[in-house]
Amino acid sequence: MIPLPSETTEDTIDAQTDEARSALLDAMVADLGDAVVGHHLMPGTDLWVRVCTEAWGDLAAYLRERQRFRFFGWLSAIDWMPSPYGRSLDSNVDNILEPPDASKVAETVTGFAGGDTRFQVMARVHNLSTNLGLTVKADVADDALTVGTWTNTFPGAEWHEREAWEMFGLNFAGHPGLRHLYLPGEFEGYPMRKDYPLLARLIKPWPGIVDVEPMPGSDEPSTENPEGSN
Amino acid sequence: MGLVESGKLPKPLTTLLNTSRKYSLWVYQWGLACCAIEMGAAFGSPRYDVMRLGVIPLPASPRQADLVVISGTVTDKMAPAIRRLYEQMPEPKYVISMGSCANCGGPYWDSYSVTKGVDQIIPVDVYVPGCPPRPEALLEGIVLLQEQIQNEDMAAKWKGDPLAV
Repeated sequence: MIPLPSETTEDTIDAQTDEARSALLDAMVADLGDAVVGHHLMPGTDLWVRVCTEAWGDLAAYLRERQRFRFFGWLSAIDWMPSPYGRSLDSNVDNILEPPDASKVAETVTGFAGGDTRFQVMARVHNLSTNLGLTVKADVADDALTVGTWTNTFPGAEWHEREAWEMFGLNFAGHPGLRHLYLPGEFEGYPMRKDYPLLARLIKPWPGIVDVEPMPGSDEPSTENPEGSN
Repeated sequence: MGLVESGKLPKPLTTLLNTSRKYSLWVYQWGLACCAIEMGAAFGSPRYDVMRLGVIPLPASPRQADLVVISGTVTDKMAPAIRRLYEQMPEPKYVISMGSCANCGGPYWDSYSVTKGVDQIIPVDVYVPGCPPRPEALLEGIVLLQEQIQNEDMAAKWKGDPLAV
């Protein structure tokens, strides 16, 4: 893991420019204590707060009842591991035909508020009276892909958690019924994980962007130089 | 009707029957993605007006349809429903695959969830390329299908081996 530069993970509150968000962050740190393990404030724009895994389930009720975040935007997850299959749209760096090699995998870069694990669960809530939005996230350890559910506080989180479950394989303790939402019932694997193989690409790599017809005004088609044509 | 299966139908009668069939195509729609917007423009708007081609859009059920237009992205989860409703259509029945997604997967050629072409589950008569095709392209596909119907030998169709997909 490469931590972001210190000025982004440390406290960047500028009380002169964003009193509302810094007050919210202070209140959360005061109430939750050590459960807040990282935060990032972009004055005038947004606030990110990362809590420890154990605090995730209770965070929903705290945000809704104590901080009046009544609107649940979305809940999802992210896999920070760089894809072992290389990039997708650039044929020069697409190493799709090589098997995944852990030693060649690029180092993980985590987003705002940092992170220590491959998977993170994140959610977005809004306070409709102060018109503030808040993004919260929590690390999910690889050996125990389980966090608490938010469905007791936000019933609308049920489908979001089902999606995160089927796409990333995260479990939500207390969820009323984790079953497939978008995928067929017999689907195997977790397709949004970075190491999920796309079989069509394994058989025939992406050829790069190729212009098959000359653009108006040009003389020749540019099929022979895919990397120069985009 | 025994005359038709026997293949002894006089040629002018075959032509008459085929002409009648090609100008009364009840078309059942499977609008699955953005192609359905173009299909709606072709079927529902006076600008394109498929009824002048003898195509009657949107019957109440696939059991009353002669033609189905698969327009949009077919996913593995949707595929069984498409197959089931295709099987509910009475013979003779025709399929137009509209757009890149229904033809071959299109931009979702590497997806984990998209069926790479609706012809993997039902037989397709006409493929309309495009992403999405313009309504004129769908009309051309319908005209091509009508040409196919005009030249069709119903006796051969009914006497041949059962259609295996």
